[in-house]
Amino acid sequence: MTTSSTTSSPSSNPTAAPTAAPNGASPTAGTRGADLVRSVQGTAQRAAHIEDAATRLASAGADQAAAAEQARAASEGMAASVDETATASEQLARSQGSVAATAVELQKGLETTASGLQELAASVTTVRKDAEQLARSTDSTATVLEQSARTFKATAANSAELTELSTRLATSVTETATTVTATAARGQDTASTIEQVAATTEEMSAGLGRIASDSKQVSDRVTSLSVGLKGVVAALEQVAQDTTDNAASVDETSATAEELARSIRGVAELAGSLEGAATASASNLTEVAASVEQVAATAEKSAATVDGNAATIEQLARSAQLVTKSAQEVSSLATANATAATQLGAVTRKISSVVEDAKTTSVQVATSARAGGVTVGRTIGGLAKIRKSMVEGASVMKDMGKRAEEIGDIVQTINLIADRTNLLSLNASIEAARAGEHGRGFAVIAEEIRALADRAAAAASDVTKIVRGLQGAARDAVASSTEGLRIADEGAELSEQAREGLSTILHGVELLDGSIKNVSGATSEQDRVVQAVAAASARLEAESRDIARMTGEQTQAIQSVARSANEMRAMAKQTRDATAEQAKTLRELVKFNTQLTTSAEKVARAMEEQATGATQLARAATQMRTAAQRTASSMTEQIRIAGTMATGIVEVATATQRTIAGIAEQATGGNEIARAMEGARKHAVQNARALAELALVTKEIDAGVRDVARLAGEVSKATAEQTQGAAAMAKDADEVRRITKQTARAVAEQADALDGLATAATRQITSVKALSRSTTEQVTATEQISQSMRSVRARVREITTALAVQARSAVTSAADIASVAHEVGLLRIAGAEQVTAVAALAAGPAGSGEPAA
Amino acid sequence: MTLHVTFRVGNARYVVPAAEVLHLESYETATHVPGAPAYVAGLVQVRGRLVPVVDLRIRFGLPAIEHTIDRRVVVVQAGTRVAGLLVDSAREVLQIDDAAFEHPPELVERQTAGFVKAVATVAKRLFLLIDIPRVLGEELRP
Repeated sequence: MTTSSTTSSPSSNPTAAPTAAPNGASPTAGTRGADLVRSVQGTAQRAAHIEDAATRLASAGADQAAAAEQARAASEGMAASVDETATASEQLARSQGSVAATAVELQKGLETTASGLQELAASVTTVRKDAEQLARSTDSTATVLEQSARTFKATAANSAELTELSTRLATSVTETATTVTATAARGQDTASTIEQVAATTEEMSAGLGRIASDSKQVSDRVTSLSVGLKGVVAALEQVAQDTTDNAASVDETSATAEELARSIRGVAELAGSLEGAATASASNLTEVAASVEQVAATAEKSAATVDGNAATIEQLARSAQLVTKSAQEVSSLATANATAATQLGAVTRKISSVVEDAKTTSVQVATSARAGGVTVGRTIGGLAKIRKSMVEGASVMKDMGKRAEEIGDIVQTINLIADRTNLLSLNASIEAARAGEHGRGFAVIAEEIRALADRAAAAASDVTKIVRGLQGAARDAVASSTEGLRIADEGAELSEQAREGLSTILHGVELLDGSIKNVSGATSEQDRVVQAVAAASARLEAESRDIARMTGEQTQAIQSVARSANEMRAMAKQTRDATAEQAKTLRELVKFNTQLTTSAEKVARAMEEQATGATQLARAATQMRTAAQRTASSMTEQIRIAGTMATGIVEVATATQRTIAGIAEQATGGNEIARAMEGARKHAVQNARALAELALVTKEIDAGVRDVARLAGEVSKATAEQTQGAAAMAKDADEVRRITKQTARAVAEQADALDGLATAATRQITSVKALSRSTTEQVTATEQISQSMRSVRARVREITTALAVQARSAVTSAADIASVAHEVGLLRIAGAEQVTAVAALAAGPAGSGEPAA
Repeated sequence: MTLHVTFRVGNARYVVPAAEVLHLESYETATHVPGAPAYVAGLVQVRGRLVPVVDLRIRFGLPAIEHTIDRRVVVVQAGTRVAGLLVDSAREVLQIDDAAFEHPPELVERQTAGFVKAVATVAKRLFLLIDIPRVLGEELRP
């Protein structure tokens, strides 16, 4: 619309300018001369001024040419910047594409997580069933489980591992937070850059508005200058057109930037929701992880405890079997004992009866001993008598021996006589024989004598024999009686000893009687005691049998306990395995979280790249701004020059009303341009506001990221607290029952939490899908930006071309202006001549009013 | 029939003819003759004359015995020589038929160194008839 007004004015102005002077000099005649002189003088002055102005304009035109050249160079620089921007935009697009891919990956990962969580949920359900069963089993053996307190040290170690893992997780979260913070900082940087870009854009807008207005002004002014400035005007028109196009393009860019801002806002919102979902998921995951770790620890604990219990129970079972065996042995021993006690009782009774017999016997012995004492006394008396008789007999025998010896002597004498007689008879016989016949009778007598003597000798010999025998008998009798005496003495002695022995026996028997009485009492006491012992043994037997039976039952019970302990062990193992699986899943989840972190890092890197792109964009924008500023300054210079020219033209226009009217029209057009610029600026302000909002959103994102970091810190702290809690839990060894119940409850909670986690994961997936969608949209937007940048680049190139043309036109204009100046110089000379002439005309009053000097 | 005085030395019965016996005497003791042979018990005084006594136990090689009341000395006369024979006992005279005497067996004769001249069996009792001169020996020769 401004172009139409400016295009209409140059057609009227060139014709109006030459006719202005004659029209102004016509009104009155009298004063007209003076007026004319003044006018001519004024005109001359103005012409001089115009000349000056033209000269200045020429120099300004040259300057403008130089400025246009500079502007062209700046435009080229801007084109390069735009190129860079486009490249940066493409990089941004690629980065966003990678972000989108990452988001898709994230989605896939989350889906995997979701499926893993579902598996985990199924596993947890199984675990819950097992845990409930285990809880029931554990409830039944809870009292035994107090021994498991020891195993909680292992649990403490597990808790420490849990703590360490949590700390590591916290570190990871903190790192993530740091990364997010860094990302936020980068977002802030981006925001500031965007703000800068916005400011630059604003300034650029203003500059462009100024350029536009200046260009329009210059165009108007230059157009209003002369027909010779047509090329300049045309060039300015083109420039104006291009600038308008450029403005439109900038508008478009602005709009695209707004769209981008909206998209980024949407992304930010999605990121916020994703962050919320991630936070919820993280808290859920932490909860689940804590719960699972708790369950795992508890399961490990339970498993260890159950194992320990099982071992203890088996040991107990073996011990119980041994006890049973011992009890059976005790029972058999007790039976033997009872039998022995019964036998002992019988023996005791037998002893008692024997003692009674002994008592009777001792009484009899005492009686007999007394009787024996009497007998011995009698024996002693008898022995004394015997002794006496023996002594008497011995003396008799000795006497008899003496007589026998006397008889022997007599017999010897007889024998001697007989021998002599024999000898005599023999000699007589020999004598008789010698005597022959005379001695015959004598021989007979001698023979008879010899025979008698022989008989006598024989009888004597017999007597001797008898006496000898008698003497031997007497000697024997004496010896016998001596022996008998000795024996009698000994007998008496022995009898005395016997009597003493009997009295001793009597005394002993009396003592024995007392002892036997004591023994009898003792044996009856013993009998009583033995009966008590027998009764006790019987009781012991019965009790030991009961104990054996009970221990047998106990053994059976313990064996059943051992069986249930084994079942428990199996269940605990199942639970442990399931928990281990869960832990594995969780570890995968944690790994996935690490991947998520990696993805976040990728996103951060992409954002960093985006930031770099944005920085490059900012730099390009700065360069653009610089170029625009240069252009603007050139334009300002041009405008200044144009202003100078306008001043000249105003002066010219002052000289001519049409010029004034044209200038007024030009002013109107300039106002319109200004309005248009105002609109453009408003757009730019809106753009800037949008950018500010974007910055705000980025700050919000930053705040969100900081919240995430804070939450991560809290999570870390909570994990540390959980670690402490786990450590404290390790101490609660006595509360196995409660822990087991807690396990069941925790598993249930875990299931619930897993459900929540699944929901959260689903939400997260939805968020990630939305993020993916947004990223895709962002990519589209960035691609649109790229397209816009490409069109901007094309337009800038056009501008450059136009500026080149303008430069050339400006050179032409400068030449024209120079010719104008020359003409104006001629005009001035002519004016001066006119002035001279007019002065000559008006010589009288104002003769010396030669102003043209 | 010839009267013989019987006596005992050891356990054998000997006889000498009563004609060669002067008388029998009890034996108390003998006076030892120095330088006489061992079988000479000594000298005894019998009826006023000194008679050497030959201990037949020693002469017959028997061991000596204690003195007993039964030991007697048989005083014999061989030619002019009168000697006493100390025997263990001599308490009998006996009428023995001369035909009853027989020569002793050669072995006995040689063994007894000629002391036994003959043997005779009377009422189942065996009597050895001694050779007095031989029994007395050369030593007793005056």
